[in-house]
Formats: sequence, C-alpha cells, structure tokens
Amino acid sequence: MIKKLILFFISFVGVGLICQFFLNSYIQSLVISFLVNAIMALSLNFITGVANQFSLGHAGFMALGAYTSAVITKEFFGHQWFMIPISALLGGLVASFAGYLVSLPSFKLRGDYLAIVTFGFAEIVRVVILNWNYVGGPRGYSSITAWPSFTVSFAITGIFLFITFLVLYNLKISWFGRNLWAINENEIAAEVMGTPIAKNKRSAFMISSFFAGVGGALYAHHVSYISPATFGFLMSVQILIFAVFGGLGSMSGSVLSAMILTALPEVLRSLPTGGVDLRMIIFPILLILVMILRPQGLMGRKEIFEK
Amino acid sequence: MQEFFQHTLNGLSFGSVYALIALGYTMVYGILTMINFAHSDIYMMGAFGTYYVMKYLNISEPSPINFAIGLMAAMIFAGFIGYCVEKFAYKPLRNSPKMNVLITAIGVSILFEFGGQIVFGADPKSFPTLLNDIEVFRINDISIRLIDLIIYAVTFSSLIGLNYLINKTQTGRAMRAVSSRPDMAPLMGINTNKIISATFITGSVLAGIAAVLVAMKYPKIDPMMGVKIGTSSFVAAVFGGIGSLPGAVVGGYLLGLGEYYLIGYGASTYKEALSFTLLILVLLAKPTGLFGLKTKEKI
Repeated sequence: MIKKLILFFISFVGVGLICQFFLNSYIQSLVISFLVNAIMALSLNFITGVANQFSLGHAGFMALGAYTSAVITKEFFGHQWFMIPISALLGGLVASFAGYLVSLPSFKLRGDYLAIVTFGFAEIVRVVILNWNYVGGPRGYSSITAWPSFTVSFAITGIFLFITFLVLYNLKISWFGRNLWAINENEIAAEVMGTPIAKNKRSAFMISSFFAGVGGALYAHHVSYISPATFGFLMSVQILIFAVFGGLGSMSGSVLSAMILTALPEVLRSLPTGGVDLRMIIFPILLILVMILRPQGLMGRKEIFEK
Repeated sequence: MQEFFQHTLNGLSFGSVYALIALGYTMVYGILTMINFAHSDIYMMGAFGTYYVMKYLNISEPSPINFAIGLMAAMIFAGFIGYCVEKFAYKPLRNSPKMNVLITAIGVSILFEFGGQIVFGADPKSFPTLLNDIEVFRINDISIRLIDLIIYAVTFSSLIGLNYLINKTQTGRAMRAVSSRPDMAPLMGINTNKIISATFITGSVLAGIAAVLVAMKYPKIDPMMGVKIGTSSFVAAVFGGIGSLPGAVVGGYLLGLGEYYLIGYGASTYKEALSFTLLILVLLAKPTGLFGLKTKEKI
C-alpha cells in the first residue's frame, strides 16, 4: 500500500516536472484549476449524486475551507508552503463542521427546501465574511501562502484529487454508499427498510463538505487571493454544472467533466463577448441542453472503468 | 417617530413589490411544485422591455399616458418571456425528476443574467421618467410622495385583479384544480398545458408590473437587477408558505417592512444574512411557512 502511494507520488511529481518544462504558465494554471474543480465536483457529486441531497451551498463550504487554510498558513505557520496540506485538512475540518450544521435541517426538509437552506447557508457565510474585518471583509484576503513551483503544486493538488476520488468512489460502492443509494431512490422506503436516514445523511454531508473545504483551501493557495465575491451563488452553480454534466452519481464522470468544462471556455475565449465571463454563457446553455437531451449527464451513474 | 413612519412608508413600497414578485414564485410552485429561479430575470426583462419600448417610441417626458404605456409594455413583454421560458425550458421536462427541473431553472436564470449583459450591456441604464415624483401631501414632516402612492394603488388593483382571476373565472378555477390534483384535472377536461402556461404568464405579468414600479422609484436598470430583489421575494414567498397566494402577499409585506426597519436602524450590511437566517429558522420550526398547507407524502 505504502509502496503504491510512493509510486503515485513519484509519478505525480514526474508528470508535474514534464508539465513544468513543456507548458507555459497559462496552461499550468489551467491544469491546477482543473484539479481543484474536479475535487469540488466530486464532493458535490457525493452528496447530490449519490445521496440525492440537493446542495446549492458548496461555495459556502469552499469559502470556509479557503479562508481557514489561508489564515492558518499565514498567521500560524508563517508562510511555510509545506504546511499547506495540513492547513488544507484543517480547512476541510471546519467546512465539515459546517456540513454537520447544514445536515441538521436535512432531516426535516427535502428537495427544494433543502436547496434553499443550503443556498441560504452559503449566503450567510458570504455575508459574515464580508463583514469580518480580520479576514479583510469586502477587500478580500490577499498574499496567501503560494506554492514554490508548479511541480509541487501539481503533485500535492493532484494527490489530494486522487485521494478524494479514491475515498468517495470506495464510499460510493461501500455498504454506506448503498444506504445512500437507497435514500436517493426513495427516502420513505429506505427508512422502512431500516436504513438509518438521519445518521447517513449527516455522514454524507460531513464527508462532502470536508472535501469541499479541502478543495477551497487548495483553490485559495492556487490563486493566492480570495474575496467573498468569489464564493457567491455562481460558484455553487459552477460546481453543480461540473457534477451534473459529468453525470450525477459517477465519480469519474465528474473528473472528466471538470476537465472538459475547464478547458472549453478557454478554447472559446477568442469569441467577442464584450467583457462578459464566457463561462456564464456556455455553462447555463450546456446545463439546459443536458437536462433536456441527456438528463443523466455524460456518464449516468456508471464509472469510466466499469463495464 | 417621524423616521419610523418614513421607514414604514418605504417598507410598504418594497413590501408591495416583494408581494407582487412572490406571487409569481408561489403560483408556479403551486401548480408545478418547482422553484422558478428564472422569475427574477423575467422581472428584469420586464424593466428592459419598457426601457426599449420607450426608447423606440421616443417617449421621455413624464405623463400618466406614458406611465400606462410603460406599464403595458412591461406586462406584455414579461408575460411573453414567461411563456417562452415555460414552453422551451420547462415543458420538455414535465415528467422528469424535480431536481432536473430545478437545475434547468437555475440554468435559465443565469443565461438571462449573463446573456442580458451581452445583449443589453452590463452597465446600468437610466430608466425614463414616467411620472414626476412630486410630494402629494405632508403630515408632520412625513412626506408622502406620488410614486409611493402609485405603488400602493397599482399593487392593490393588481391584487384585486388576481383575486378575480383566480376565484371568479373559469381559468382560475382550472388553475386551482391543476394545483390541487394535477393527475385528476385532465380527467375533468382541463387542458393542463394551457393552464400551466396561463399561470406562468400571470405570474410574469405581475413581475413586469413590479419591475416598472421599482424602476420608477430607483431609475437604474441593469441585467443583474433581479438577483437581490428576487432572492428577497423568494424568501417572502417561502416565509408566507410557498404555494399560498395570501401567504405570498403577507410574507412580502412583512419582509419589506422588516428589511426597511433593519436598514433604517443600522445592520444594513447584514440584511441578506438576516433574511436568510429568518428563513432557515422558519423552515425548521414550520417548514410549510405561515399559510402553507401540510401535504403527506405517499409511496
């Protein structure tokens, strides 16, 4: 097991080194964006795709992870980049605690109402950060500890993505995942069959928000400047689009769609839009078309490597 | 005390607008059990409809007739947009899971907001003055302005009209039937698709009216103008019990007054957080809102 992990680490460093020398910094930055987007898509896919608990508040979890990790590395770890993985995990824990709080209403509310509550949660997080002077308020939080080089950033973010995928995929096919599928299909029937609904939903929310927090932390260290405006409703929707396009319930689909949807707007960047963010035109059209023409997304619930 | 009355008047104005928009949310929810996220953008399109009609007709001087033209333009335009959104985005999904419809609604909303920035331009445009905002009368330093009175009057007559439509006409009876038993209504000879379209148009027309009223009070319009007001109206609809028409009106007025007292007495930066906190607490204590009906889920 440890041998395998070391092998993976070396291969990640290798790919990172290759990218370092053969790609320009613009594409390098895109690669990291893809890794972060994939982590976010996976975390949302676990709660919305597998457990069918609609969350419009992943930007909130992301913001908590990002701010926690940014503040911890800057204030307590003295800008040491090798502490970033630890502070990212701490950010994940904070987000996970918030996930626990959000899961409480989910025992009583379902569907649309839960979406509203998660949306409201993200708004509350955003407004609190906006009014909190210690983390910069509306000015945002700048000069966050950055990675020393692309290779390091690629290797560590890539390993986080790999672990996220491994954990969430294995949870999906585990005994616990089966309970979540039962809740997904029919909550009342699942309860009648003896599935502990509340406990499972709580765990699912905490796991999902933990990874969302980690993703947010990695995002913060990648862009090295965050502000409350970054984590608005549009961020939640963007994560949702990644998950929906790849197929709700398909972990590899999320990674695939994060790859496609991170690259697509950049490919089309030459189109004249008058300064409007092109992603926000492509993504909603894609979302509507996917919902009408192929509601199960690219992969449905299947994985790429499954027959 | 004078300040308090002034906040009350402003709160009532915004409460009226919230009520009109919340009615659209609640009507669509009542008939399709979906949250029409695009409703706030239909509201925005209504304001732009009036703006372009006024520009095309070269009308710039304020007069009651121009006000009537502007109001009609917004109603027709918003109604048309509402009809199209239902026809092209939601109708193909009539039998899909609720989550898919919700996701589509979010997509439509963002498409309008950012597509609007490309088509209309992202910069705010100044809305033509339809009526001069004169002071009608003054009681003890509290000035009562014409636009506030117009807002109350238009809202009141819209509510009367809506009440007549829902309770006295054949269409309204059919709407209530589809809303209470969507599976049985077709058996009674009701054309469900037509009634759903009619509901969307009615809700959108109300949003168009609200758009003109707001644009008269704050004459700056831009493609993102619906986001904040839509969110507040939506909170109002849930607060009053989504699916219930009187609930939407009461919720709208309560939220309008509450927000203005909050803004008036400090804490304005926390406005949205507080309305959402309130919303979450209401949902936890009484998930169906003030006037909502409790439904039992069967399998």
